[in-house]
Amino acid sequence: MASEDEINLLVIVVDVNPIWWGQQAQRDPQFTLSKCMDAVMVMGNAHMAMARTNKLAVIASHCQGSHFLYPSKSWSGEDGGGNDVSSSGDGKYELLSAANNLIVEEIRNIMSKIEVTGNSTDTLLAGSLAKALCYIHRLTKELEVGQEIKSRILVVKAAEDCALQYMNFMNVIFAAQKQNILIDACVLDSDSGLLQQACDITGGLYMKIPQKVALAQYLLWVFLPDSEQRSQLVLPPPAHVDYRAACFCHRNLIEIGYVCSVCLSIFCNFSPICTTCE
Amino acid sequence: MDEEPERAKRWEGGYERTCCVSSFPGLLWNMFHPQGGVCVFSHGQVRLGMMRHVYVVIDCSRSMEDQDLKPNRLTSTLKLMEVFVDEYFDQNPISQVGIITTKNKRAEKLTDLAGNPKKHITALKKAVDTVCVGEPSLYNSLNLAIQTLKHMPGHTSREILIILSSLTTCDPANIYELIKTLKSLKVRVSVIGLSAEVRVCTVLTRETGGSYHVILDESHFKELLMLHIKPPPASSSSECSLIRMGFPQHTIASVTDQDAKPSFSMSHLDSSSGPGLSLGGYLCPQCHATYTELPVECKVCGLTLVSAPHLARSFHHLFPLQAFVESPVENLQGDRFCQACQAELKDKSMFSCPSCHSVFCVECDLFIHESLHCCPCCIYCQTVP
Repeated sequence: MASEDEINLLVIVVDVNPIWWGQQAQRDPQFTLSKCMDAVMVMGNAHMAMARTNKLAVIASHCQGSHFLYPSKSWSGEDGGGNDVSSSGDGKYELLSAANNLIVEEIRNIMSKIEVTGNSTDTLLAGSLAKALCYIHRLTKELEVGQEIKSRILVVKAAEDCALQYMNFMNVIFAAQKQNILIDACVLDSDSGLLQQACDITGGLYMKIPQKVALAQYLLWVFLPDSEQRSQLVLPPPAHVDYRAACFCHRNLIEIGYVCSVCLSIFCNFSPICTTCE
Repeated sequence: MDEEPERAKRWEGGYERTCCVSSFPGLLWNMFHPQGGVCVFSHGQVRLGMMRHVYVVIDCSRSMEDQDLKPNRLTSTLKLMEVFVDEYFDQNPISQVGIITTKNKRAEKLTDLAGNPKKHITALKKAVDTVCVGEPSLYNSLNLAIQTLKHMPGHTSREILIILSSLTTCDPANIYELIKTLKSLKVRVSVIGLSAEVRVCTVLTRETGGSYHVILDESHFKELLMLHIKPPPASSSSECSLIRMGFPQHTIASVTDQDAKPSFSMSHLDSSSGPGLSLGGYLCPQCHATYTELPVECKVCGLTLVSAPHLARSFHHLFPLQAFVESPVENLQGDRFCQACQAELKDKSMFSCPSCHSVFCVECDLFIHESLHCCPCCIYCQTVP
């Protein structure tokens, strides 16, 4: 059993790209954003119920920014004035119902208030992951003497990758690896090479869900156990990660290339002068 | 020997009123953060030497048994060297390190130039038992390092880092001639002194373009070592060329696969321990030899094998994050929250990113510049038309 002083922090990053979810609602009315948030809340509640010292944070990743759904800036856990918010009619543990209500309210605010400019169906996860890492770093600094914290990040990804964020994404992955933070990925639609690399480098789990409707089931069975318990379970095998580099001139994946010694750009054919840095 | 005018030492100069002289001993690009700790700013747009060959010379003479560093200088140095080797390969994954020790007027190689941290760390752990005896020899250790470094290709950076605790050195020939040779071979020598400043080291580092520091205490020693982890600016005369590298695929096969063929990993041929036959691994794209980990130089065909993330690790040196602007918290209207960690801004100052004007707290600013190397809010500004 985990000791009393060990805190397990789970940060869930949900991709709420409104364009993708709008298209998804038309494709398959059975699985919409609200169903997805229900599944995420079930996962969050389950995590908090596992041990008294477990902590949760939820971040929504929008195409124009990332927002913390829980804990929210304007809410503090010990606030006695939140009586009507936290008392739940069905006898649920107050912390869980308060968290659920907060998440629902915040996501409603975000989706209604933010105007969508542009029509990108890409999702910019690097910023949300960076904020998650800063939050984890802050909690680690706020620990009392003798307490330890183990953190992991679970990414629920819907839309496709955006190629612009490669460098930021890699920086975030290396920072997470250095701090021993696992990054798990639960992918709803299309495979993401960036997340596969992230899970491989940090030691997390990558899984593309065969049936979106059963999201809650996959989250609870595969992603709820923490890293110590995973060694005793039979989990989906690791995906084959393609670590080949793409050349800068044609964007093809190459197995043998020429790397500039100064700027590290990769080319498929030899030339005496590097076009990036000369 | 160039007779450059040397900076006069304080006791050589005349009397001056010290209260009027600013004596802040800043290193060129370090600034002390008001909240404590050290903030390191970037070089800016300077060409850096990414592929580095560094020889570390550790003094094992009698003065290393001195106990001013706990438990003694040698143990403390070796422990810090292990940290250095780990951090070095983390920041420079395609570079190599070798270790030389010097004692009893001789120098010998502890480990050869290699890109694998494990070999160096095992050697450093074993070296704790060495007996510290005699005097070090700067000439012999530099000579030994040059034998290998002079064969390295021109586009890589050749560096020697000397950790010298003794105040004397016993050389069989004129060291100033060797300094001229070092200069012609474009080798950069830096020295970290553990006792006091020695003139021959000052001349050595000045002529070759390296840095010379003397430690104040153990934490200062660690700081000085960590300074050498960042890639140094490349000299304008170093050639820029394209190096042929391979990006192998990782194959994972299980026994039930029909095509799975077990093979020996080439990297473990020399060692008696370690896994023998394995089903998967990294296959060299040129000769299909198997390796268990990267980066490695293929023993069969000589191709350097790396994976794309290894190169990506060095990107933050090439595209450093700009420093954030400090301003007092009172200027902020409305909610005072750090946009990265959602904490309330309780300190007197806040930091804002010059590109996206988001506000961060002190802790996040340090974390972003030391580990993250990217602003969490800037990426959204890049795509908004």
